[in-house]
Amino acid sequence: MIPLRRFLHTPEAIAGAILLTALFAMALSASLLFPGDPQAIAGPALLPPFQDWSLPLGTDRLGRDVLAELFHGARTSLAVGLAAAAAALAVGAVVGTLAGFAGGLVDEMLMRTTDAFQTVPSFLLALAFVSVVGPSLGVVVIAIALGTWTGPARVARAEVLSIRERDYVASARAVGMHPLEIAFREVLPNALPPVLAMSSVIVAAAILTEAALSFLGLGDPNRVTWGGMISEGRAVLRTAPFLSIVPGIALVLTVLGIYLAGEGIVETTAVRRGLS
Amino acid sequence: MSLLAVSNLTKRYRRGGKTVTAVDDVSFHIEPGETLALAGPSGSGKSTIARLALRLIEPDAGGIEFEGDDFLALSGSPLRARRARLQMVFQDPLAAFNPRATVARVLDDPLRIHGIASRSERPRRIAALLERVGLSAGLAPRAIHEISGGQRQRVAIARAIATKPSLIVLDEALSALDVSVRGQILDLLLDLQRQERIAYLFISHDLGVVRTIAHRVVLLDGGRIAESGDARAIIDAPQSAVGKALVAATPRLNRSIGP
Amino acid sequence: MTALASIRELTVTYRRDGREVAALEKIRLDIMAGERLAIIGESGSGKSTLALAIAGLLPGSATVGGGVDWFLPSFDAKAPPSVLPDISPSRGEIGSSTGVSSPAAMVIGEIRDDGAISPLEGEMSGRTEGGLIERRAQKSASGRSRTPLLGRDIGFVFQDPSASLDPVMTIGKQIAEVARTHLGLTWPQAYTKAKTLLERVRLPDPDSALRAFPHQLSGGQKQRVAIAAAIAAGPKLLIADEATSALDTIVQAEIVALIRRLVAEDGMTLLFISHDIALAAELADRIAVFRHGKLVELGTTARIIGAPSQAYTRVLLDAHIGLDAAPLLNRSRLDA
Repeated sequence: MIPLRRFLHTPEAIAGAILLTALFAMALSASLLFPGDPQAIAGPALLPPFQDWSLPLGTDRLGRDVLAELFHGARTSLAVGLAAAAAALAVGAVVGTLAGFAGGLVDEMLMRTTDAFQTVPSFLLALAFVSVVGPSLGVVVIAIALGTWTGPARVARAEVLSIRERDYVASARAVGMHPLEIAFREVLPNALPPVLAMSSVIVAAAILTEAALSFLGLGDPNRVTWGGMISEGRAVLRTAPFLSIVPGIALVLTVLGIYLAGEGIVETTAVRRGLS
Repeated sequence: MSLLAVSNLTKRYRRGGKTVTAVDDVSFHIEPGETLALAGPSGSGKSTIARLALRLIEPDAGGIEFEGDDFLALSGSPLRARRARLQMVFQDPLAAFNPRATVARVLDDPLRIHGIASRSERPRRIAALLERVGLSAGLAPRAIHEISGGQRQRVAIARAIATKPSLIVLDEALSALDVSVRGQILDLLLDLQRQERIAYLFISHDLGVVRTIAHRVVLLDGGRIAESGDARAIIDAPQSAVGKALVAATPRLNRSIGP
Repeated sequence: MTALASIRELTVTYRRDGREVAALEKIRLDIMAGERLAIIGESGSGKSTLALAIAGLLPGSATVGGGVDWFLPSFDAKAPPSVLPDISPSRGEIGSSTGVSSPAAMVIGEIRDDGAISPLEGEMSGRTEGGLIERRAQKSASGRSRTPLLGRDIGFVFQDPSASLDPVMTIGKQIAEVARTHLGLTWPQAYTKAKTLLERVRLPDPDSALRAFPHQLSGGQKQRVAIAAAIAAGPKLLIADEATSALDTIVQAEIVALIRRLVAEDGMTLLFISHDIALAAELADRIAVFRHGKLVELGTTARIIGAPSQAYTRVLLDAHIGLDAAPLLNRSRLDA
């Protein structure tokens, strides 16, 4: 467990780890602590927090348990964030590797496509995609990935361009390895570290985008999301601000936690590389 | 028939708007089981020729005939298949391997790619290859970065001979090694040549080593052939300016001087 | 001959993967003033660690035992310590130790404002443990002494000139900066000095070279520039750490000839670190053979080459393949 101890070296990383652990605990325990539908009516409407200890964070306009919604919302946020980031990283890494390794016309075509995606604001892209295809969890994931894969693609391509010239790639060619095997077995794994370093930023951005889509009513209507909760609370912002504040804080802490933990990981790997 | 015949090979690079001719109208041939050395100062084009001969880069003009076939006419799958017969050992054995590789994986690649051994048979073949180059078969699971420089270069040689090539290009393959290790690797290379009749294209700037192991030498200067012929005859009495300069610059160890 | 520096019981260990690895073990060696001393060894012999230890460039992760005693004359009148630019409090202390024979221990972090020559300065400063090497000033013949300053008293030439030169600074400025920092010159004076130095290292067209950037020069030319920067402040000791290993044979011979000439002209002491015993024998008065962090054998070049007393030295000599070596392949000529 030496890497973990090294990871927990800085206060930022510790804070990030605590926040992330809490988030995962919320997501995993949601159906244990709050079995049943979080969107079911649990009590009187608009109950303020800390009044009734069976409903600690009170209820919303329809009398739904805010705490249960918060826990189930953590699931959606994490699931969408992680899935969208994984999709964006995978697509980006593959596109970047192919472009950088093949060069020439393939590179031109792939990178101009990347440019095209990058010139459209990613949120508008996601918005348009969900509006056309219709809101569901899978569509939201694809919509978010659509706008974020370009960053990883550019980083991967830059890395591949330098790795392509290394002796071990020449050695693989000399031994008769197929170009696709060279690209994905020799080059891609060595190009990944800087791409993965972007993952925390992408996960955080994906969670925010998901929240924004839900806020605009384009999230999966069958799932509780923090963005949707904020949107719900907006109608009664003056009388019951906590309905927007509680999921808002959850969102801020989540993004902060992911970002800090990501920094910690980058720092850890940098230290390890510096030592070797 | 020559094993490798290179004729009028030319390679130009564009660098900052200027065209640099790295290899200029170079012709030579290698016979089976022969060692031909390419020697010259840095920038003389010897490494470029090595990469051209292996088709890691493409020439601008000239021809390469390997084992009687037009090597430049091959592409795709036939080219990859033919690569089994023409292998390479690089200068820096650490840079020549994927940093994530293990010894076993490095030796598994050529056996798998060229269908030399079935999956179940390969571990045995890998062990045999390691033993052939004087290493313990127990080295197989080790990571490349864990073993010593001399061991790495032996693994590189094992990888090169795995496909039973007729020609191995040795690109400064001894330059990065400690002198005590260098002698052992040299012996290994000569032993392999004797046993398997492998020809070597030996790229080096060290005339002392060239003189001891090469049959013939091609001295290069600025991408052109300055002189070529019997290695000992040329190094003992160079005629070209670059040959004279290289010989004059080689350090001499006069051991006869007493205290 | 008097000693310039006396290495006493020098031990350097690095921590690697949680284990202590000894790079040097109890080295005792005197560097004589004005001599050309070659340090010979294979990889892992500790020869480069020795060079770094003498120059005070060991990384912070190194633990040091023993030390180096210096017998340096004090600063000459041209550049008394008090008028040196960017003087640090620590340097003031060293200046005040002039004339006192009590040891002035020195942390390498304190020499960090020596310009481009000292790398990793940020990492080294502030370290209290590790990398600390005791470099004591001893009473010299003139009765005055001090601890050495990298750049001023020691010139260091690295193996890879591309890595030791700043890629975005002109050649002229890199050399002038050393002269300005250590000799207290103004910029115009320093540039004039830089031009003289480029002429001395025989760089073609010194005027345009002053304004050139490192990438515009060849490997050999870059190494000439690195040497010019190393000798800019007129150091007593020039350390060449595998300075010719990255160069081809012809350029190597030129650089060796250049070092030989500069050392003779300026009366410098030379520490020539190399893996090539033949090359070292051509240049050095004395040779020290290192292996696995230990000093195996030390003697005059003629004695080491002609009558080595240690088996390992003989191994190194036998392994050399010169132009007179017996060919290995007369048996394997194409008679098969």
